[in-house]
Amino acid sequence: MANRSVSVTKLVTAAVAVLVVSLAAAPTVAAEDAPPTTSWGAPDLQGTWDFRSITPFERPKEFGDKEFLTAEEVAAWEEKTRKARAARAERTPVQGQGDVDGGYNAFWLDRGEQMTGTMRTSLVVDPPDGRIPALTAEAKRRSDARYARWGAVPAGPEDRNPLERCIVGFNSGPPMNPGAYNNFAEIFQTPTYVAILNEMINDHRIIPLDGRGHGPESIRMWKGDSVGRWEGNTLVVTTKHFTDHTNFRGSGPGMVLEERFTRTSPDALLYEYTITDPESFERPWSVAVEMKRSDDPLLEYACHEGNRAMTLMLSGARLREREGESADDWLASWYGGAKAANAAQERLEEETSDPEP
Amino acid sequence: MRDFLLAHALVGILLACFSVNSAPAQYAAARTPDGDPDLNGIWQALGSAHWDLEDHAARPGPAEVLGALGAIPAGLSVVEGGAIPYQPWAAEQRAKNLANWVKLDPAVKCFMPGIPRATYMPFPFQIVQRSNKILFAYEFASTSRVVRLDRPGTEALAPSWMGYGLGRWEGETLVVDVTAQVADTWFDSSGNFHSDELRVEERYTPIGPNLLRYEATVEDPKVFTRPWKLSIPLYRRVEPDARILEFKCVPFAEGAMYGHLRREAAPAEDTQPGSGEGN
Repeated sequence: MANRSVSVTKLVTAAVAVLVVSLAAAPTVAAEDAPPTTSWGAPDLQGTWDFRSITPFERPKEFGDKEFLTAEEVAAWEEKTRKARAARAERTPVQGQGDVDGGYNAFWLDRGEQMTGTMRTSLVVDPPDGRIPALTAEAKRRSDARYARWGAVPAGPEDRNPLERCIVGFNSGPPMNPGAYNNFAEIFQTPTYVAILNEMINDHRIIPLDGRGHGPESIRMWKGDSVGRWEGNTLVVTTKHFTDHTNFRGSGPGMVLEERFTRTSPDALLYEYTITDPESFERPWSVAVEMKRSDDPLLEYACHEGNRAMTLMLSGARLREREGESADDWLASWYGGAKAANAAQERLEEETSDPEP
Repeated sequence: MRDFLLAHALVGILLACFSVNSAPAQYAAARTPDGDPDLNGIWQALGSAHWDLEDHAARPGPAEVLGALGAIPAGLSVVEGGAIPYQPWAAEQRAKNLANWVKLDPAVKCFMPGIPRATYMPFPFQIVQRSNKILFAYEFASTSRVVRLDRPGTEALAPSWMGYGLGRWEGETLVVDVTAQVADTWFDSSGNFHSDELRVEERYTPIGPNLLRYEATVEDPKVFTRPWKLSIPLYRRVEPDARILEFKCVPFAEGAMYGHLRREAAPAEDTQPGSGEGN
């Protein structure tokens, strides 16, 4: 994935963008903090939302039972993250492959430098321990099978994971989550639709608000089938009918996702979601992320179009096989099978955000 | 669905007879809550322009196994004047593209089609309209683009597959200037192509409650002798449950792109069809 370069220009051009935006956009008068409404009177969620965050997805052990941090503790965590990143930038590449196998350096990463505004110790807010509930036996089997496949030398493109194949994004969901980069979403509204455009792989989700139900269960979709409704000032979106291949932290095709979008101020959007999937998790679980309004433009992330990595991985595997060599020792994420692949996957999703205790 | 489309086509053709090729009697579109002409909806082109923008007789398709269903239907040119005005070198390139289109056509690989091709791919797209920005959400490849109405005079930060779209209203018509498209997209499956100097002016004009006239004026001084224009009606998908479904086509394209690299595949050759090389 290391050569899908267009979105990286976000990093390079951020300064330019800020200049352009500040010249072009009329300054908003922040006379009041009330969340705005649309011209037809609905809560206005529109705009570009930045969901970068260095709050750990699950609560690190060092926070114990603590649900919230103080301002000082937040500052300390942010400082620790900066230091960990600086140290990482100095590290010696493993097997000389540090730049090609989950080895993004700081140039590629754009996960922000701040914890989420909730000041919580984890993005998972329920269960109260801040940890994802245990997988069911069925979900463990499914997960092991996935990682075994992704941990093996690929016989073809289907053996790589959907993120590397550019079928879905690793942070665009649904549900959306802070990831290594492209943590931006733009929301569009009409009286009868909400649309969410994710920078990650340039993908959209169109959510009807006209009271219709979900489509037929036989139509399974990678991003599921979403319908929305207003509950007061909160947009509630329910998504189901995911494919057998859709996988969020171990979820299965029966996952029902309920997302809640609440604009808490002109510059903040509280994004909460609950996953209910009794076939996969021992209990429902919930996450909260505070998104911040951004004036940066979304850029097109041409993932599949620039996916030279797939050709290189497959041709490399075939070359080694023709030479009669084991191919298990040339990419660390393949080495060691499922366990290492699992770790690589987690690295991809949480790249560098969480300083290890 | 096909029946619906055909039935709708008849209505559309009737309307088009009065509207597309003659001086249009100005139809006043409904208004959005913000007061703009309301283009919101799910739209789709009919016909075979996505196969070939110019006049073309029916011809066999590349996959014999599909029989009649895989053949390419005939179509009349949607280009004003009939033919695309290529420079001589570009006419030769176009012929080469056509001869190798299965290998070279970026849409075979599930790449973003670019503008104008995304508009008349045989898939619906949805317009989601704000006063200052319009989202175009295409079913093919789940591609998206945003047209901005509030940034006149600005330029793209980087080239892209779907281009940098700046919009404005001219009466009932949404006019979009599209620049900064990469050179890698095509106009159809017959090798019609452009360079990185492509500029497209799109015009979306409501000519009935369920009908848009789509016009695209194409400029590319590296490839064409003069600007040229295509014109295609777009029909509203009026089924009450119409929606954009998912056509994430990467899994459908991987065989064509990477099949030669599968373990059981024949030894790789440089000339494998759809090898993922750029064109």
